[in-house]
Amino acid sequence: MKKFICAVATTLTLGLASATWAEVAVIVHPSAGFDSLSEDDISRLFLGKSKSFPAGAQAVPVNQNEGSAARDKFNEAVCKKNASQYKAYWSQLVFTGKGTPPKDAGDDAAVKALVAANPTMIGYIDASAVDASVKVVHKIP
Amino acid sequence: MNNISSMRKKHSLALAITLCMAAPLAQAGDLNFSGFLSVGGGMVDDENGPAYSGYDEEDLTFDNNLLGIQISGNVSDKLTATVQLTARSEKDYEVDAEWAYLSWQATENSKIRAGRLRTPFYMFSDFLDVGYAYAWISPPREVYYLPFNNVNGVDFYTTNTLGIFDTTFQAYFGGFDDELDLNNDGILEEAKTRNQMGVAGTLGKDWWTLRAAYHKADLWIDVTGISMPVFGTLGNFANALTNTYNLPANANKLLVEEDSVTFAEVGLNIDTGRFVAAIEYVEFEPDDALLSKNKRGYAMGGVRFGDWLVHLTASQSKDDASHPEAGIPVAPQTAPLIGALQAVAASQAIDRDVISIGTRWDVTTGTALKFQIDDVDDKNQGDQKVFSVALQTVF
Repeated sequence: MKKFICAVATTLTLGLASATWAEVAVIVHPSAGFDSLSEDDISRLFLGKSKSFPAGAQAVPVNQNEGSAARDKFNEAVCKKNASQYKAYWSQLVFTGKGTPPKDAGDDAAVKALVAANPTMIGYIDASAVDASVKVVHKIP
Repeated sequence: MNNISSMRKKHSLALAITLCMAAPLAQAGDLNFSGFLSVGGGMVDDENGPAYSGYDEEDLTFDNNLLGIQISGNVSDKLTATVQLTARSEKDYEVDAEWAYLSWQATENSKIRAGRLRTPFYMFSDFLDVGYAYAWISPPREVYYLPFNNVNGVDFYTTNTLGIFDTTFQAYFGGFDDELDLNNDGILEEAKTRNQMGVAGTLGKDWWTLRAAYHKADLWIDVTGISMPVFGTLGNFANALTNTYNLPANANKLLVEEDSVTFAEVGLNIDTGRFVAAIEYVEFEPDDALLSKNKRGYAMGGVRFGDWLVHLTASQSKDDASHPEAGIPVAPQTAPLIGALQAVAASQAIDRDVISIGTRWDVTTGTALKFQIDDVDDKNQGDQKVFSVALQTVF
């Protein structure tokens, strides 16, 4: 029940937050040997269809927590799935041992800190939170 | 604890793996828990008609409930242990290990698993119990009818790309012991498979996935307890065929003993976001046994409107009865015997059309509420309508 109330609360919060139309930036470690990734490349990583960057290096995608505005915008724009469809997609893989969804790593600041510290990671944050600790490889207007 | 101690022998492998896993995992402290829950109820339109989908009362009953918990953890860098425990209302909430396996990540794209696995018969086999993962309350019963959902054995699973397409390939070997209700009469028949093996492959891109699978096994089902007129049971009938009528070959065509059976499947799954569709067709070849050749399929289409999904499914069973009477010379004195054999074979052949319409409402992320109406047209047993509802979650 508590979870249900949380979900309702986040849905409401989300409804307000998404009205701001903030730009979302897909970020990697500054040392990455590439400057941009296509939407398809990113989608494949976040849907577990690929486990490495196009150049071949290992890639570990990280999500923001459920209910975050950046996460919903990212899932809709890149993975082409709303929050429920995204959850249903991963529940097809989780319960079969065929895949593990990207870890929920927190908010903009938490994801940025993780990506800045890990050359294998790829995440997404509100464009306004971007600084020199990470490299932007894709933008979702 | 009672549940665990009451587990029968067939659970011992799964249990052993669970226990082996539990020790190192408890120390590792890095366990992943996930779970799913389905609470379902339903009623039929006519109590005098055939039961369907597990419902036979005109009053709404809520006895189609299922709780599943999955625990997995890394034993080492490349070795993962997973167990999925389920409790079902139809089995009195007895805890059962549907999956319990060790998985070794052989390469970045392939893994080898050993233990109890889900048999990859169907497109939705892998997440059959996870209603949240698909549109229906449960996948069409005409096609999803095989009782052997699991297999104890080993498998190899690999994912790759082929040009612009994503592919998966799975091959397994094993066997399983189970009880099944062949005639839907509440009497369970002992059954087992040995030398069971199969392959399943998918090819897909973005919004569509094609699938094909092929399986073979040596099958035993103890059908001797099935009741029949004059002889009492099918076992007595088979004995009479061998001893009284000197027709051991025909007795053998009745019994399901080490029969080499095969099962083939093709399917297409589509999800564009706005539209969903699925088509699946299966064929079961029974070798020389009482069982029918099963030919079954369905086609489903649906549309999403925001958090709602509306879907329509047509499914069909059109079995060919076996011919246990083959080889008996036709004569007036053999006619009753031929008739009895044909009647027993015909009782195993299902000829049924089902139209289902349903909705799925995503109440919140992780929770869906579903309604479904099945209009059943059974050519042998009569018509029925089933109304069902389910609340399904993943967590």
